[in-house]
Amino acid sequence: MVKHVIPKTYEEALDHLSEGTFKVLAGGTDLMVKNRSWSETPARFKQDILYIHNLEELRYIEDRGDYLAIGALTDYETLLRHEAVPQVLKDCMLEIAGPGIRKVGTLAGNIGNASPAADGVLTLYLLDAKLVIEQKGSAREALIDDVIVGPGKTTLSNEEIIKEIRLPKTRFTKTRFLKVGGRKADAISKVAFAGAVTIEDGVVKDLRMALGAINVTVVRLRDVEKRHIGETISAVQDNIVSIKNAYVPHIKPIDDQRSNRVYRKRVAFNMIEDFITTMHTQD
Amino acid sequence: MKTKKDISESIRKVDSEEKISGRAPYTSDISIDGMLYAKTVRSPIARGTIKNIKLPKMPEGYHTVDASDIPKRNVVKMIYEDWPVFAEKDVNFIGEPIMLVVGPDKETVMNLADAVEIDFEEKDPVFDFKNSGVQLHFDKGDVDAAFERAAKTVEYEYETGYQEQAYIEPQGFVGYPEDGGYTLVGSIQCPYYVKNAVLDTMGEEEDKVRVIQAPVGGAFGGKEEFPSVTACQLAVALKKIQKPIKFIYEREEDMETTTKRHPSKTKMEAALDVDNNIIGIRSNLALDGGAYIGLSGVVLSRGMLAVTNAYTVDNLDVSGDVYITNTVPNGAFRGFGAPQMIFAIEMFIHHIAKDVGEDPFAFRKRHMVKQGDKTSTSGTFRDPIILSDMVDKAVEISDYHNKAKAYEDKDTFKGIGMSWFLHGCGFTGSGESDIIKAQVKLKKDDKDNVHILVAAVDMGQGPKTTFRKLVADLLDVPIEQVTFNYPDTRYVPDSGPTVASRTMMVVGGLLARAAKSLKEEWIAGEEQTITKQYKQPEYIEWDQDTMRGDAYPAYSWGVNVVEVEVSKVTYEVTVKNAWNIYDLGKAIDERIVLGQADGGQAQGIAYGYLEVMNHEQGKLKQKNMTDYIIPTSVDVPKMENHIMDNPYPLGPYGAKGVGELTLVGGAPAVALAIEQAIGRKVKKIPATPESIMELIDNG
Repeated sequence: MVKHVIPKTYEEALDHLSEGTFKVLAGGTDLMVKNRSWSETPARFKQDILYIHNLEELRYIEDRGDYLAIGALTDYETLLRHEAVPQVLKDCMLEIAGPGIRKVGTLAGNIGNASPAADGVLTLYLLDAKLVIEQKGSAREALIDDVIVGPGKTTLSNEEIIKEIRLPKTRFTKTRFLKVGGRKADAISKVAFAGAVTIEDGVVKDLRMALGAINVTVVRLRDVEKRHIGETISAVQDNIVSIKNAYVPHIKPIDDQRSNRVYRKRVAFNMIEDFITTMHTQD
Repeated sequence: MKTKKDISESIRKVDSEEKISGRAPYTSDISIDGMLYAKTVRSPIARGTIKNIKLPKMPEGYHTVDASDIPKRNVVKMIYEDWPVFAEKDVNFIGEPIMLVVGPDKETVMNLADAVEIDFEEKDPVFDFKNSGVQLHFDKGDVDAAFERAAKTVEYEYETGYQEQAYIEPQGFVGYPEDGGYTLVGSIQCPYYVKNAVLDTMGEEEDKVRVIQAPVGGAFGGKEEFPSVTACQLAVALKKIQKPIKFIYEREEDMETTTKRHPSKTKMEAALDVDNNIIGIRSNLALDGGAYIGLSGVVLSRGMLAVTNAYTVDNLDVSGDVYITNTVPNGAFRGFGAPQMIFAIEMFIHHIAKDVGEDPFAFRKRHMVKQGDKTSTSGTFRDPIILSDMVDKAVEISDYHNKAKAYEDKDTFKGIGMSWFLHGCGFTGSGESDIIKAQVKLKKDDKDNVHILVAAVDMGQGPKTTFRKLVADLLDVPIEQVTFNYPDTRYVPDSGPTVASRTMMVVGGLLARAAKSLKEEWIAGEEQTITKQYKQPEYIEWDQDTMRGDAYPAYSWGVNVVEVEVSKVTYEVTVKNAWNIYDLGKAIDERIVLGQADGGQAQGIAYGYLEVMNHEQGKLKQKNMTDYIIPTSVDVPKMENHIMDNPYPLGPYGAKGVGELTLVGGAPAVALAIEQAIGRKVKKIPATPESIMELIDNG
């Protein structure tokens, strides 16, 4: 029999994690769907479930000077209404599912689920998000890139839980979140792009691009981005062919029920090119 | 004397409140003491023979029900009888029902159903169009002579995909034994189709089967013939188990195993004279029928009849095939074959015009049908046709010509498309008089309350409101004095199925006749019953064998204009605006008609560019509402709809058909808009971003 545990406190949750092997359920918007069963019968979970939805300690947004701390249980709708949340993340969250799901879904859950098509994860890559991962007696901080390793796969051990997401404060001169779903709302991405740039006096000071649903994890090539920091706008734009070439080995989409690899690949490159060529203008 | 309100003036829908409040008792809301639950065990393979079935140990009170339990005939009575109630020896599509597991606890039923082991001898499935199960043909004039004297010919092939009805409420029944027979309450469009199919399978006397319509959460044709299949299965289970049983499909089960719109391929060949007038068309419409034919032949026929849409062409040769494939059987869906053909002909007309270097709009207008012209089947368009005025109005309110000119600049990636179209109202040919023979009753009780007794179903399209409004208006009594309960075959006569845009024109027409008679014979305080039977207009002549004559007693007409923008980066289509003009005779309630206009066009446009369904080796790839994409409110454009009065003498207050008309022109309108935006001919729908990319690359 599968065990269902509802801890009363965060501390108690850590205790349970140290003792058993649980799947952690926050909003349940992925797990309930994945384990769906015949109506009026319980979900068909294959392992023990730890329900953390009622842990109010994990529901917070705090400005800590150089970064914004987001408690793991903060839902999308709350984030959308908070003034300190970066606009590009809001633009992204507005295109995640519909209002009902956004009311219970969380960014931490989006990370834990580790879908290659996760829009929230994509934007967290762009923002250099760090995760505070805790287990009984210890905690670690890791860049999101180092936590997600493949479809549904993370470096989280059975004892660990995502406690907090930290967004370093950065000002960009332009950001973009562009998603291609099957329709304009309430759709899973066929391919998605997040971009950010800071331009001062015609010089590129920061350049970031992240692509989703085109590989097993989000693709963000920090070394390629760095190569162009300090260049003028036109120098970067003149290099569009080499920039795109740098992404070639990393854009390896699949065929599935939502789209096909040829299209995904083409649109991914179109998105890179379009962002680079318009990075100095407002959309 | 008070002046009566115009019948079109809207009133509040009588069932809005019970539906919005959640009080409406849908099938899944029904619970009966001691009720059991049924789950279907299905074929996991596309084609093969059942070698052996190993059942798990069945606990006390749990049952299996299969073909061996059928009292009389293992076939579901439909237009063509080839669809088994349960697969007995051969399975022909993935998901084909083999047996039911029935019992009191759902989890146990589910686990038992999962534990049934079936060995198959697999056979090579057929997915190509090579096994034709139905062939139809008709001609008009002398097409060979037309092609012989043609100055040039133009040929194209068009393709359409699946469309899923995507009703909110899945298929379902609750059944229970009653008076030595069976009562079935369900989400259905056609109470008497269900009843007659069950009688046929069970070999029961007429009074042993009772069918009651529950509130229906959408149908779109998907609950026309398919519920007969589950009803027969449930009746077999009721006979064996003699307890109430709930039998409701899950969403994915419903999408994977129930009927959809037929994918199609249409060949079009036109002969043109020296002045570029179309003097003849040869056409073949091929439908993918899926594993069983069911009513696909009738869908094919309606599709073929639409071959020249709202154009007049003197010489035609039209053939059609339903191909049998090892996929889920396809069936009725709003439009019923017409959307496939109207897409083909609307694109074809444009493509001919472009190929001969003419302005498509002028080219189309020159071929537009006029009153007195011969139909595709050599019948006559007898009633006034106001299509030309409708097109003028559409052009004006959409600024069509200026936009069409501006968007010729390929850099805009914008386009505007116009379709115009007709839809035949009611059953094809002499179906109403030969097959349906509709009957309606009005019963007045001694308190002078009037009860509408018909088998027509309100599935959202409004007859619960409009029939009462119609009868009350003709009797000159308040609407509260007229009732129309959910049809129950114990009490209502067979007024025919709720299909083919016939409900208001045919059933409403009979009710109007009954109301007029009742008013004339009205005796206050006395019980009175008026019965009316369908009579075909005498001028209608139809030969089913040659498919010649008047295919429909009346036609509704429409014009759709759709404006789009295509993304240069993602090839996604944004539908910006839509303008629509409809001639449906007379609206019995304007707001209800406008509701049909909004919903029908959303569904029709989405068929053209958004809704993707395909199968891989017989397995549908989009099987839930996450992967099968239907439009949200964000996808639907701003719509401006106009209804024009053009009363049909035999319809109530002049009303003709509405429901299907509003869907059939959406796909070509959006496809033509996309065609202009990308500067490439669109020959296949849905025109997805993936296919738009391919068209831009390869032309």
